[in-house]
Amino acid sequence: MKNLLEVKNLKTFFYSDAGVNKAVNDVSFEIPKGKTVCIVGESGSGKSITSLSILRLIDHPGVIEGGEVILDGKDLLKLSDAQMRKIRGREISMIFQEPMTSLNPSYTVGYQIDEALRLHQKHLNKKQRFEKVVESLDLVGIPDPREKYREYPFKLSGGQRQRVMIAIAMACEPKLLIADEPTTALDVTIQAQVLDLMKELQDKKGTSILFITHDLGVVYQIADEVVVMYKGHIVEKASAQELFKDPRHPYTKALLHSIPIPGVTPRKSKLDTVDDDVDYLSFPKEIR
Amino acid sequence: MSETIYEIKNLQKYYEINLGLFKKPKIIKALNGISFDVKRGEVLSLVGESGCGKSTTAKLILKIEEPTGGEILFNGEDITKLQHHELEEYRKKVQIIFQDPYSSLNPRWKVGSIIGEPLKLNTNMRDIEIKERVLYLMEKVGMHPDWYERYPHQFSGGQRQRIGIARALALNPEIIVCDEPVSALDVSIQAQVLNLLLDLQDEFNLTYIFISHDLSVVEHISDRIVVMYFGDIVELKSVDDLFKNPEADYTKKLLSAIPTIKD
Repeated sequence: MKNLLEVKNLKTFFYSDAGVNKAVNDVSFEIPKGKTVCIVGESGSGKSITSLSILRLIDHPGVIEGGEVILDGKDLLKLSDAQMRKIRGREISMIFQEPMTSLNPSYTVGYQIDEALRLHQKHLNKKQRFEKVVESLDLVGIPDPREKYREYPFKLSGGQRQRVMIAIAMACEPKLLIADEPTTALDVTIQAQVLDLMKELQDKKGTSILFITHDLGVVYQIADEVVVMYKGHIVEKASAQELFKDPRHPYTKALLHSIPIPGVTPRKSKLDTVDDDVDYLSFPKEIR
Repeated sequence: MSETIYEIKNLQKYYEINLGLFKKPKIIKALNGISFDVKRGEVLSLVGESGCGKSTTAKLILKIEEPTGGEILFNGEDITKLQHHELEEYRKKVQIIFQDPYSSLNPRWKVGSIIGEPLKLNTNMRDIEIKERVLYLMEKVGMHPDWYERYPHQFSGGQRQRIGIARALALNPEIIVCDEPVSALDVSIQAQVLNLLLDLQDEFNLTYIFISHDLSVVEHISDRIVVMYFGDIVELKSVDDLFKNPEADYTKKLLSAIPTIKD
């Protein structure tokens, strides 16, 4: 089987007094084994809700209204809550945008990585788990992992915290890693390091990555396949090479032209913008 | 008026951190004595990682904080020594646009009052004149006049940033410090705000001090770039020069780290 995950006709709606917000409306895509798929879009395009729907982390008033999320042949949307808990962290894990707020400040770094192992790798004893945590800290490039095991998150820099988040996510060697804007809060040089690290881990462990971002520069660096989302719909889907060489959907074109490229875009020239008055959904979808 | 707006000489800022009653306070050197000038009508960008001192520089220029040492000459006058009335005059000429349009606008105030506040505090204009000026500013930043009575929460991030820009323009400043004005915005909105900033610069003869960590944006908008690293200036050059011949190792590292779409 070529694809690790298949999302078919996924619909996630939010209900409020003001009406129904169709945050994710009939979205289908696949994640091949060992590849990186990027979802690109602006805020409100439904990219984060798509990833949360895959993990079934949608809270009231949101409801997953329909579709299938097939991981290795089983539909995650049909599993019981208990079965789903075993999937999260073990088979699919997630890294969030804010490394500052997504770690618990009152537990040591080691304890927080250990938690994933305590829950999902019950056959390991304490000593084995300690070694595994140290190994994973080492893997994500944290210096002196044995010392750092006992450190609290406030002592680490933003980049190091994001490395710890990756260590937690990778602790159980998941088949799929979902990264929701993991580098947006980081400096460019640190961002480059974290992206390299994710690629390296992918090569070593064969993990598939679903990467969510609004930064097309980052997409260009790491994506194999790109899914462009706009207002809950997929407007274009293509391999990264094709998408950047030959963007076909008007929205993708507008998005690509709105970022200045050093050396290409004339300095201080007017940048193209996504036009609020254009209904981009009226154009045919470009699925390649 | 002279060509140089700002001349900054050997500017230093140290912060003391108290470690405890009987311990010597630790000194953090946020700025190690930096010198540069800002020319009238240019866009000068400060770039560097978090903690490099770029925001500290902005705070000192805006007189939000006092320097530990050094001089900031504004049109030839040292602003670190300004007193009451002179300080008020200075503050009218220098404005800021903040990074986060969500936390920098008072949620209980209407757009009209937010943009009109500087006029109310600093001029003798009558209410009706203020309203006229606010509507003019709103038009200039591309906002509909009907939005005068709305609250910030009714707007998207890009629109809020326009409110902040209109407020910064209210007193006809000479210089605007833009502290990461687009980094909280989506790329397409980012393009709109950058276009707006460039248009306004032409129209009102503004000078910008532009703080950003996004080098693609900086390349697009700036005339000259100051690269900072741990409280020091490592390189100060025209944009072309910096991108073509970066000299300092840190600049090279920074340039190679930009994720661009071009190979």
